[in-house]
Amino acid sequence: MTAPLPKRIIKETERLQTEPVPGISAQPHDDNARYFDVMVQGPDGSCYEGGVFSLELFLPDDYPMTPPRIRFLTRIYHPNIDRLGRICLDVLKNNWSPALQIRTILLSIQALLGAPNPEDPLNEAVAKQWKENQGEAIKTAREWTKLYAQPKQ
Amino acid sequence: MEESHYLNCKSRAQNYNPPVDLRLLDYVSIYDNNLMCAICRCPFVDPVVLSECDHVFCRDCIRQSWNSNTSYTPLGPRGDCPTCRTPAKLGPRSATSKILVNLVDELVVHCPKRDDGCKAEVRRCEVQDHVNIYCGYTVIECTDDDCTLPVRRKDAAQGCLHFGVSCLSCHKELQKWKLEAHWRSECADRRVHCDMCKSSVFYRDLEAHRKEACPAMSVSCPGKALGCTSRSKRGHAELHAKSCTFAKLAPVLLKQQERLDEQEAAQKEMSRKLEVLEGGFQNMQGILYPPGVETSQRSADNSLTPSLQERLFGSGTAESTTPTGTAAGYDWTESAVDEDAVSPAETMHTAFSSATSPRQRAAPLPPGPRPADLPEPFSSDFDIASPTGFPPPATNGGPYASPLHHLLSMHESLRDEMTRVSSALSELDGRHSMQILNENLRTREEISYLAAQTAGLQRQVHWLTSSALQRQQGRSPTPGASSSGAGGAMMDAGAGAGVEAAVGAVSTAATALRGAARMVNVGGNGSGSGTGTGMRRGTSEEGRTKL
Ligand SMILES: [Zn+2]
Ligand SMILES: [Zn+2]
Ligand SMILES: [Zn+2]
Ligand SMILES: [Zn+2]
Ligand SMILES: [Zn+2]
Ligand SMILES: [Zn+2]
Ligand SMILES: [Zn+2]
Repeated sequence: MTAPLPKRIIKETERLQTEPVPGISAQPHDDNARYFDVMVQGPDGSCYEGGVFSLELFLPDDYPMTPPRIRFLTRIYHPNIDRLGRICLDVLKNNWSPALQIRTILLSIQALLGAPNPEDPLNEAVAKQWKENQGEAIKTAREWTKLYAQPKQ
Repeated sequence: MEESHYLNCKSRAQNYNPPVDLRLLDYVSIYDNNLMCAICRCPFVDPVVLSECDHVFCRDCIRQSWNSNTSYTPLGPRGDCPTCRTPAKLGPRSATSKILVNLVDELVVHCPKRDDGCKAEVRRCEVQDHVNIYCGYTVIECTDDDCTLPVRRKDAAQGCLHFGVSCLSCHKELQKWKLEAHWRSECADRRVHCDMCKSSVFYRDLEAHRKEACPAMSVSCPGKALGCTSRSKRGHAELHAKSCTFAKLAPVLLKQQERLDEQEAAQKEMSRKLEVLEGGFQNMQGILYPPGVETSQRSADNSLTPSLQERLFGSGTAESTTPTGTAAGYDWTESAVDEDAVSPAETMHTAFSSATSPRQRAAPLPPGPRPADLPEPFSSDFDIASPTGFPPPATNGGPYASPLHHLLSMHESLRDEMTRVSSALSELDGRHSMQILNENLRTREEISYLAAQTAGLQRQVHWLTSSALQRQQGRSPTPGASSSGAGGAMMDAGAGAGVEAAVGAVSTAATALRGAARMVNVGGNGSGSGTGTGMRRGTSEEGRTKL
């Protein structure tokens, strides 16, 4: 018999449904309450505006003592997100705190889309382009958003 | 007091009842969010204050949090505050405000055995006591002296319930003391309420009810595949389907799709068959007309034929491979089979496998008369269709579905032959009349030449006549008008005799000329008018042939 789902996860899930964060949705799988399908809208005014990015989020057994595992499923042109969708974000690694929640992490990710940080790159090629020719990089990011991150009808 | 409470619980702890996990409790009281631990999101359990920043966490929560990312330190557990990241260390229990402890202890919770049926609501600090001492749904040891098996406290008075029974609904074998729990949460035939529509259904049917019948379940429009995005409760979905164009079209389009798929599959099958048949036919042709192979060598190919024969008949549509021209060799065997005529097997054998048989060898040659015993009704057709003079028409001809189709195609090729013959004929005709026309032209030129000569002659005769008349008038010094007229008449008679002789000669020449013209006529009897003119001219101007 598996351990009962911690109250914290149940509560977080409930609150994500009852008080959703604007521009973010997280839906747990029917067969695995620790696995979420996440949608994040590109923040207004960023080069990801208008895009809807899908991510997967998994809560490990020792959550909240360890951070959730999150990955972009939609392709995105971003210096801190690599080709596999892995995200370079301090709060997902060393700076994780058990006081953080799914919703705060998703908000951090949305903020990362609004403020790419090429000084701490995960995707070297994109970061290089971002530093050398920011205009071109932003144009590419917009094109990728149009190409890959269009909301499904 | 808290410590003793804890010890009390410990001493009474039984195997059957693990200590209550306070973080799994359901709260009856509505509690302030300030009483909630930031780590477990529950009202604090054994709260502890971090003296460096005054943030409060459950003791277990903060310990676990620090253990997971820092190694053991001799100065006791320490780490960063999860909320504000201030470096901190764990303080003693006494540092925690009594008010805070009381606030969380006083919260009312449901008994953890609520799912089993206990309706008790108790203060959180008393929940362990309730479970250990009072709760009827707590499992204890059987009161029967000889029995140590577990039983629920409320059932203990009924004596030992550890005997097998079977559930009246689902007939599952189980012990009596477990029956109530079985009915409550296990039995597949128990009644449950659908949480969507509140109707009562059997548990085993719940899944199906939700999927198919529940009127409160939202379903998508039947036209979803066509693009309708409407989702509505089952009750309303029928209403929607009545008005939705997609839903109305869906069955028709789905049927069409089905038929399309069917057709595609059939077509695939057909083309595959055709491929096989074409291959078979090519083999056949290779056997019938090996390029530059002597008759004696052909017999070596006999080894090939059985497999070919097998393939053609195995496919069941052997006649469909029959291409018109070269098919003469075995076409009739099909009809022989159809009509169950004289020894069909034998004829088949002759046609298919004995490459050295005289009939087979004769096939590419101009067809002689067919043996009289051949039963097929259209053998004569093949005689026309397969002469060497014409290439066999439609050698790549498609498969024929039936002998009728075969006949039709035969007819078609015959008609083609006829067209070709008739065009050749008309070409010949044209060439011939052209030749005659040229001949006529030459003759006409000659005739006009002759006519010019005759005209010259006429003028000479006229001149001679008039000079003779002048001489006669000159001889009579006093010519009267009448005498001169008579003399002229006499003179005329003399000259007329000469002229008449000339005319006779000319008329014989004209006869000859007419003969020539008739000959021309025989050649170009089409150009009637031209010949007529020639003849008329011929009669009037011929004498010069003689001259
Ligand atoms: Zn806690
Ligand atoms: Zn703090
Ligand atoms: Zn109880
Ligand atoms: Zn017993
Ligand atoms: Zn049952
Ligand atoms: Zn229902
Ligand atoms: Zn519809």
